[in-house]
Amino acid sequence: MSDLISISDLVVDFDTKRGTLHAVRGVSLNIAAGESVGIVGESGSGKTVFSRATMGLLRGKRVHRTGKIMFEGTDLRSLDHDQIRDYWGTKIAMVFQDPMTALNPVRRIGSQMSESLVKRLGMSKEEAKKRSIELLSQVRLPEPELALAKYPHQLSGGMRQRVMIAMSIACNPKLLFADEPTTALDVTVQAQVLELLADLRKDMGMSMVIVTHDLGVVAGYTDRIAVMYGGEIVELATTTDLFANVKMPYTEALMNAIPRIDRKRGSSLSAIEGMPPDPTTTHTGCAFAARCPYAQQKCRDEHPELVDVGNGHLYRCFFPIGGK
Amino acid sequence: MGLKGKPLGYKLSALWFILCALMATVLRLLPLPAWDYNDAEALGVGMFSKGHILGTDYNGVDQLSAIIHGTRISMAVAIISVLFAMLIGGALGILAAYARGFIDAVITMYFNVTLSIPTLILVLAMVAIFASPDPFNPGYTIPRILVLIIAITFVAIPILGRLVRATAMSWAGREFILVAESIGVKRRQILWQHILPNVLPAMLSISFLSAGVVMVVEGGLSILGAGATPGSSWGSLLARNRSDIALTPHTTFIPVVVISLTVMALNYFGDYMRTKIDSRESRI
Amino acid sequence: MAGTGKAHLRDSPTPILRVEDLVIEYKTKGQLPVQAVSGVSLEVHSGETLAIIGESGCGKSTLGKGILQLIETQSGSVVFDGVDITKLSKEDLRQTRPNIQMIFQDSISSLDPHMTVSSIVEQPLKVWNRGNDEERKNKVNDLLRSVGLDPEVVGDRKPSEFSGGQCQRISIARALTLSPKVLICDEPVSSLDVSIQAQILNILQEMKNRYGLSLVFISHDLAVVRAISTRIVVMYLGKICEIADPDTLCETPRHHYTHALVSSVPVPDPTIKNRRAVLQGEPPSPTNPPSGCRFRTRCPAATELCATEEPQLREASAGNFVACHHPRS
Repeated sequence: MSDLISISDLVVDFDTKRGTLHAVRGVSLNIAAGESVGIVGESGSGKTVFSRATMGLLRGKRVHRTGKIMFEGTDLRSLDHDQIRDYWGTKIAMVFQDPMTALNPVRRIGSQMSESLVKRLGMSKEEAKKRSIELLSQVRLPEPELALAKYPHQLSGGMRQRVMIAMSIACNPKLLFADEPTTALDVTVQAQVLELLADLRKDMGMSMVIVTHDLGVVAGYTDRIAVMYGGEIVELATTTDLFANVKMPYTEALMNAIPRIDRKRGSSLSAIEGMPPDPTTTHTGCAFAARCPYAQQKCRDEHPELVDVGNGHLYRCFFPIGGK
Repeated sequence: MGLKGKPLGYKLSALWFILCALMATVLRLLPLPAWDYNDAEALGVGMFSKGHILGTDYNGVDQLSAIIHGTRISMAVAIISVLFAMLIGGALGILAAYARGFIDAVITMYFNVTLSIPTLILVLAMVAIFASPDPFNPGYTIPRILVLIIAITFVAIPILGRLVRATAMSWAGREFILVAESIGVKRRQILWQHILPNVLPAMLSISFLSAGVVMVVEGGLSILGAGATPGSSWGSLLARNRSDIALTPHTTFIPVVVISLTVMALNYFGDYMRTKIDSRESRI
Repeated sequence: MAGTGKAHLRDSPTPILRVEDLVIEYKTKGQLPVQAVSGVSLEVHSGETLAIIGESGCGKSTLGKGILQLIETQSGSVVFDGVDITKLSKEDLRQTRPNIQMIFQDSISSLDPHMTVSSIVEQPLKVWNRGNDEERKNKVNDLLRSVGLDPEVVGDRKPSEFSGGQCQRISIARALTLSPKVLICDEPVSSLDVSIQAQILNILQEMKNRYGLSLVFISHDLAVVRAISTRIVVMYLGKICEIADPDTLCETPRHHYTHALVSSVPVPDPTIKNRRAVLQGEPPSPTNPPSGCRFRTRCPAATELCATEEPQLREASAGNFVACHHPRS
């Protein structure tokens, strides 16, 4: 399977008043066509910066980005802003956490959807309207014709998210980035939206990257999972392999800290003590060493590199769970 | 709170304020011609002339001296009116924001009614009525400056009050206020201990910006003839000299520059405080 | 679903807190007031952790604030220690404050940005004039230590220097200063990272054991609630659907909404598939709730009866109450 997008050694730094913020410290990731990858991490792990940087959404004097981002043979870094914009919405689409900020509050849904269809696909207004209704039905929005006339604030969170998804798939993108797509939604609506995304992916053969903090979400909807901590990928494996043979202590600790609906009451939650590392500091050694129950001196002195177990399961640890 | 490490604008504005303070106090003692002395030998001379570094006007009045003299009144009007307007308006605004309900309705209605009267007409009317000689007691007139200050204060109260009310409302809706109530803190104490300290920085910022506005307003009123006695403030100096702009352009130019610099410095400080508040807010 | 329905209330042992038929409305501009809570009754027993769960718009947060009378309630009663606090004067109500405390979801916003951490935790003691300076200082330091913070390090700093998790710890310390009997927690961990969530939940559990607290835990996260509560109340659109102990509720939910809720929660285990009985549609707006059972518009088992008659809470099995005409078996 050829890789749709191949990210090599992405480093993203920000200049801030408090010094340089090392948000992403060298991440490499390949995503194949039609694959669904989950990026899991907590706040400060760099996952959001990583997805935004890959999309080319980070601009400005204070942002420094190095590394290669090859999409279908083109290095996205070499494109200027106008060229990148051609990619957005057509080849690569993004769905954000809060659709209220992504939709223009003073324009009706229909007009926002038609605009991108007319501009990008050169449709006429009537064609765009018809296509908008088709897309809204595809995302299972009830009464799509009526929805076109509404403003974003007249729709609920779940419906707005569907509109966002409809707009993002309008041009049949090859890759969809979903940044915490369901975090702001109720759990019953979350289930609907995730199922929708999975079905759309199957129908359209899209690749998808889901960025989230929720291991439960990625468990059911991804082929592979990358766990990020302190600006790096600390474990990368197929979904089944990650849960069955977890190697990195952080991943294990994360799994143990999550309360589960299928576990009886009284099973205690083992917390991870301490706090995530400060991205403005450069640390020697493993970023997780300070909080790791298995940490040894080597972990504090040397920085572990990614090790391949053999079947594509990568981890970044000197003393992985279950031995090397 | 020194000058080190602050941006250039901050330093310049601070220097200008120091200069104004000096002009209002010490610099009057400089060996310059009196502010109302007509030097017959130097009528309408330009800047950098002998004996008159900023020139004189059509009547030979030394402009530097006039500016120094005018500092007191100009600053007094701006500072005192804003001070009282903020004390009264700010208090009402905070009260309205926290008490809500009936009290808020009454205070807001007062604000709205006062604001609906055209401010200029109101000030002109007050000056005309109260600063004119009393026909039944001709010996006494309320000092013009006092009337001016009171009129401007009266008009500014609802403007500042509404701004403070808006800020206070955003604080009153925050969770820690609810927490204070749940602990059992009395409402009056909540107002003093929790709302006021948090609204204060915004009040300071608004005050600086308002002082700039008042200064310009004072100039406008002087041109309309409702300001301070001609020549006793920057605005009235400008009003007096502007008709001579063809003959002695520097006499119009100088008060304008002085007023502008002061307003810029006030605006800068007001903005600077606001950005500090915003950056603190955004971290939270 | 029952708004009227008190089959689940017991008289002995006397509950520490009993809410009966509580109705809470909020005004909307130019329209009729909307009921956020429509006649809810529940009770909290000493030493238990009662969870109130529901999705957005169900009224759970409003209920929490209403129990404390931090917002106005239209009718119904809240009886604490034999006294109906809804009927008290402002000053008498204030006197009851030390007994029931609350912590909120937004931990950073719950702290006055102008106060130092020590003064925040000390404030309740000062308000109620407890102890002298020395005693207060010691108590504050003890409390900060018990929530895992070093008073020397954090005491003189301001809230803006701390993370969400640390602010929540400070809030917990502050809430326990007056040794309340009941602690209401309104989504206390919802905005925290997963690894921090577990820390805070553990602290709450520890404090509960140490101080003999009763907890009311309001949340939308059923997985969290299952792990820490002794009884769960499920709310939908201002009314109670079901009450049960956590294991029963999650393994054999009787109400169709509870079933949908339980099935929707994602499980971090790829081998478990097909748990998701997806509920269609969105919750209706509280301004115009459906007649009869409010859940009937989305319920797979709805009949005509559900539209005409509002179901009451009935005991389905020991300790398990459902408000449904056709509960699952």
